[in-house]
Amino acid sequence: MHAPTLATAAVHADGVPWSALAQRARWRRIGEQSALLVFLLAVSIPILLPYFWMVVISFTARSGGVSTRVLWTACAVIVPAVIVYCVVHLATSSVRVRLIAAAALLAASVALLVALVGPSFHFANYRFLWRPNIVEEIRSKATAGGQFPSVWIAFRNSLALALSETVIILAVASLAGYYVSRFAFRGREAFLQGLLVLHAFPAMTLIIPLFLILHWIGLLDTIVGVMLVLATIELPFYVFVLKGFFDAVPWDIEMSAMTDGATRRQAFRLVVLPQVRVGLIAVGVFAFIRAWEEYIFVRTMLIENTHWVMSLYLYWVSDDIMGVDYGIVAAVSVFYVLPSLLLYVFCQKYLTQMTIGGIRG
Amino acid sequence: MTIENARFGRAQARRQRANFALFLGPALLLLACFFLAPVIVDLGLAFTDMDRTLAVTTLTLDNFQRMTTRDTRLLASLGVTAIFVLCTLGIFNVTFALLLALTTTAVPRALGAFFRAVWLLPRMSPSVVYALLWLWVVDPNERGLLNQVLVHVLGMAPADLRNNHPLLVIILANGFIGASLGMIIFTSAIRSIPEHLFHAARADGAGALAIVRHIVFPALRWPISYMTIHQTLSLLVSFEYILLITGGGPFFDTTVFSLYAYRRAFENGQYAYGAALSLILIVIGVVAALGMWRLMDMRRLLQTPRIEVH
Repeated sequence: MHAPTLATAAVHADGVPWSALAQRARWRRIGEQSALLVFLLAVSIPILLPYFWMVVISFTARSGGVSTRVLWTACAVIVPAVIVYCVVHLATSSVRVRLIAAAALLAASVALLVALVGPSFHFANYRFLWRPNIVEEIRSKATAGGQFPSVWIAFRNSLALALSETVIILAVASLAGYYVSRFAFRGREAFLQGLLVLHAFPAMTLIIPLFLILHWIGLLDTIVGVMLVLATIELPFYVFVLKGFFDAVPWDIEMSAMTDGATRRQAFRLVVLPQVRVGLIAVGVFAFIRAWEEYIFVRTMLIENTHWVMSLYLYWVSDDIMGVDYGIVAAVSVFYVLPSLLLYVFCQKYLTQMTIGGIRG
Repeated sequence: MTIENARFGRAQARRQRANFALFLGPALLLLACFFLAPVIVDLGLAFTDMDRTLAVTTLTLDNFQRMTTRDTRLLASLGVTAIFVLCTLGIFNVTFALLLALTTTAVPRALGAFFRAVWLLPRMSPSVVYALLWLWVVDPNERGLLNQVLVHVLGMAPADLRNNHPLLVIILANGFIGASLGMIIFTSAIRSIPEHLFHAARADGAGALAIVRHIVFPALRWPISYMTIHQTLSLLVSFEYILLITGGGPFFDTTVFSLYAYRRAFENGQYAYGAALSLILIVIGVVAALGMWRLMDMRRLLQTPRIEVH
């Protein structure tokens, strides 16, 4: 903030209007920045609006219809608040002012929202959480696939699938990643090159033979079968990610552990693994989210409705009652998307650490 | 002394084998069962007549004859695939990704991170949810989000995109997801450009466009070519969102090649024909994978490890 005083001094010295130039540059910068922000806001609205719409439907839709009035009222409150905050953010660099502005805008918009759309707000669409047979209740007849399972069965299956896949991937990929990072063995180059080809290779093309293999070994329509398939096709990627983390651990740590009498395996377990904690968390979270959201493979390989995972549950709910009751479908979506979204938001700082030679995939 | 050495050597060799089995064994086993075996199974299956009964009766070349001479629908699906891949790749996965990377790195860091997080949202949310959102957006009646805007803001007639312009819908739906990966990779490439180059260019009087052209683009040449191959391949084989949003329809209008193979196998029960169609994709996949492999930094990746004690 000392630039203006310097500039005024400079005008007197050489006759160049420095302060006017600085002023003009500042204005141009503000103009450029606002143009960029307007562009980014404009292209982000098509993404944010549908998600917001989903949340609004889930809390306000009543059986038989959706009122879009709530959506646009809420937008009319929130969008100006966001724009005002952006302006404040650009105008000042003081953290305190920014925080105060954010808190004030938040309080104002919450108050307005409660006053304007509060009356249409209700939790009835979330009744699928405690009423097991919601679909038949709405359609008042038996559904195509026999009795519709409770959402908690699907939730439990999803959790079992995602957790077991995460554990398998962590165990297998950390062992393999460590081995290819630290050991010299015959065929190491060939193995790494093969793994790289497998990593780039699109596993989706193998869905027909994978279906048959599971059928032949008797694992079709089981969570275990799907878990093994999903873990394997993602494995090359995770091996490379963890290899990168192991490569970054200085080998002196390991060497000193071994001079102190540890075996190679002890050194791996007690000394090196704690060093790559960040990598293990990142891989674990990513693997969990991927398994949680999987659709094509589970749709193809899980058949019985007691084996449904959340993605299949949501698919069949929307297939059965979309025309009749939007609210329930939206509520199930919110319930389904929440775990992976929370994990993503809270573990973002770990996820951004994953790279393969500068490629995050 | 020599006997001691020999015994030591044998013990070491044994330990080496044990370590190999312990560390690499599980990965090799899984990859052999669920990655290599399927390729071989598919190769065999393509020459059989397996149908809904999952039984093989004869070995035949019929699948390939059908593909090359009799299947007119296949040709149509190839056309759909070409339009789908070229448009999604050209508009979103490369161009728009680049635009997002350039703009989000030019605004204050926190805001840039926020907008990138917004664009990652579709990639991070489950595909069924994402597809459902699209169904709500293009809903043909007046409830549809798009129609709300068209009717009330622009005063136009409501549109039924899913039935009248299904290709546009799947291109948009895939593009909104596809742009985020390129955005992330291009962003990290831009970040890795030394800061002083920007200062030097600005001091020399370069404008924003000149900086992009002479400093940013040269640094992005490698990531762009990598992303182009990577995304072409992934668009070529992935049909998840298409299946969820349009189901390949109306009729076969949005059935891209990979979805065509899937529908033949799992809707019509023609597993052998599906496998034969997949075989083409597998060959393309291997070729593209080898191509990408050449673009990777092999020397650093294959650097020999420094500890060789077992």
